[in-house]
Amino acid sequence: MTDEPRPNEMPTVRGDVSNLKLVSRATYIKEAALKNLFLLCAFMAVAGVALIFLFVGYRGWPIFTEVGLGDFLFGQEWLPTEGLFGILPLFVGSIVVTVGALLLGTPLAVGAAVFLSEIAPPKVRTIVRPAIELLAGVPSVVYGFFGLLILRPVVADLTGGLGFGPLTAWIILAIMIVPTIATLTEDALHSIPEGVREASYAMGATTWQTISRVLLPAAKIGIVDAVILGMGRAIGETMAVLMVVGNAPGFFRGMGAPLSTLTSQIVMDMPYASGMHRTALFGMAIILFLVSMGLVLTVRLLSRLREDVS
Amino acid sequence: MLLLAPLAGCSDNSSSLTRLIVTGSTTILPIAEVAAEDFHAAHPEDDVLVSGVGSSAGIENVSSGTSDIGTASRELKDEELNLGLVDTPIAYDAIAVIVNPQNPVTSLTKAQVKAIFQGQIVNWREVGGPDMAIGLVNRDEASGTREAFAKIVLDKERFDPTAVILPGTGQVRSVVAQEPRAIGYISLGFVSDDVSALAIDGVEPSEATVVNGTYPVQRVLHMFTKGAPEGLAKMYLDFVLSADIQESVVRDAGFIPITAKGAYGD
Repeated sequence: MTDEPRPNEMPTVRGDVSNLKLVSRATYIKEAALKNLFLLCAFMAVAGVALIFLFVGYRGWPIFTEVGLGDFLFGQEWLPTEGLFGILPLFVGSIVVTVGALLLGTPLAVGAAVFLSEIAPPKVRTIVRPAIELLAGVPSVVYGFFGLLILRPVVADLTGGLGFGPLTAWIILAIMIVPTIATLTEDALHSIPEGVREASYAMGATTWQTISRVLLPAAKIGIVDAVILGMGRAIGETMAVLMVVGNAPGFFRGMGAPLSTLTSQIVMDMPYASGMHRTALFGMAIILFLVSMGLVLTVRLLSRLREDVS
Repeated sequence: MLLLAPLAGCSDNSSSLTRLIVTGSTTILPIAEVAAEDFHAAHPEDDVLVSGVGSSAGIENVSSGTSDIGTASRELKDEELNLGLVDTPIAYDAIAVIVNPQNPVTSLTKAQVKAIFQGQIVNWREVGGPDMAIGLVNRDEASGTREAFAKIVLDKERFDPTAVILPGTGQVRSVVAQEPRAIGYISLGFVSDDVSALAIDGVEPSEATVVNGTYPVQRVLHMFTKGAPEGLAKMYLDFVLSADIQESVVRDAGFIPITAKGAYGD
């Protein structure tokens, strides 16, 4: 994709008008139509995001004016039937569930990526990599079922409760975010030039020293990138969380005590919510939207940083 | 479903297929669904679409015109009284308080049940059971069973906010069936062998104790229409109230025919 003029004068869509005159009119129209078609495709994505944001914003805005930003964001009680719309416990719930999942899932995923990229013989790699990618294809409701039927009783025995709560959600989400973090980390490791490894080994470093002292630090920004995208997956996950987290809209009280999150509460309340309650749900959607927008922006900034570094 | 609603409005029986939309209580779902299938078999030109979205959503749908019939396993709330809804009671139901079969407790007073669900009694030891923390299982707020339970047992006071909230009767039952410390409440019709229903104030939940009025946690199941039922809605409601459906479908679903007490209404 260089802009240098090519020696054989092949016209390109990007070329200037004098070049385009060299081709037939039909080709020119086809090229122009395709260009616009792809522009439309790109525009649809942008329009989709903008429309969703406008719609959610429009429906959710009254919560800030009528209930008030403070009572909504920092209210301690979510009791919609009594007119109390404090989402702080739900927000804290989302954070607790996400951070726990990242703490469990990140080492697992980075370890898997290091193994695939640096250690595994090709034969093992051809089995392990598709298996990890397959994890991403399992529907979240299936994870939820797995959590409900297999993990919940185990967690119940461990914590002395009913097994609904953050611990169960952490384990389920940790498994769910492994493919996201592992594939991106593996990409980051792959993008490190082979010469860096060779140099490390030439200095007499062992495999472990090469991985821990050279490769992981070099792939640092890529890994942080991967973790943030994994975080986006975890904070937005709804169905699997709803099935195992217990859905009690109070503050975090322990690993085995029921909790609720922004996403699961929206789904629980959507079927029957009306009036200000429904507005509050849209307000929660705005918050989620802003959080994920922040995550995407962070990833963008980090990628730019990575380009600057390399 | 929204797209179908206008079709149901113009129920011109003479021509093509007409549709009746019934939404609401998941408790009533088994009755409404089987009745819909039988109704369709008897009137092949009419189609009844049934979905379980919770009592509150059913009432919301029928009053907004999204559904022709809204089913509810609770009474109308004060703010729902002036929506112009007409009630057709279709069955009686008892709400059973269920525990794990391993739990030696077989009977509680209504006051004890209330204290348990409000979080004032937290150990089975306090009600004559083993020294074991009580695991509360509650339903979501869309549930008519929760609404009725709150009204009858809790006198509309708050539930313990730390209770696990599950979005379906089946889930409550399966968790109670698996966990010795759990307690929950479900419609009598859904009680199976893997959970045990407690006697309340010494009365076991059964058809006999519901009909004679001694079992305290009982309610009426409703189908609401906007204004007096007419056309296809009336045909369907009459069908649901017919002896055929009442004695077979309603009974098979574990509910008690509305005709059992002699008259309609409470």
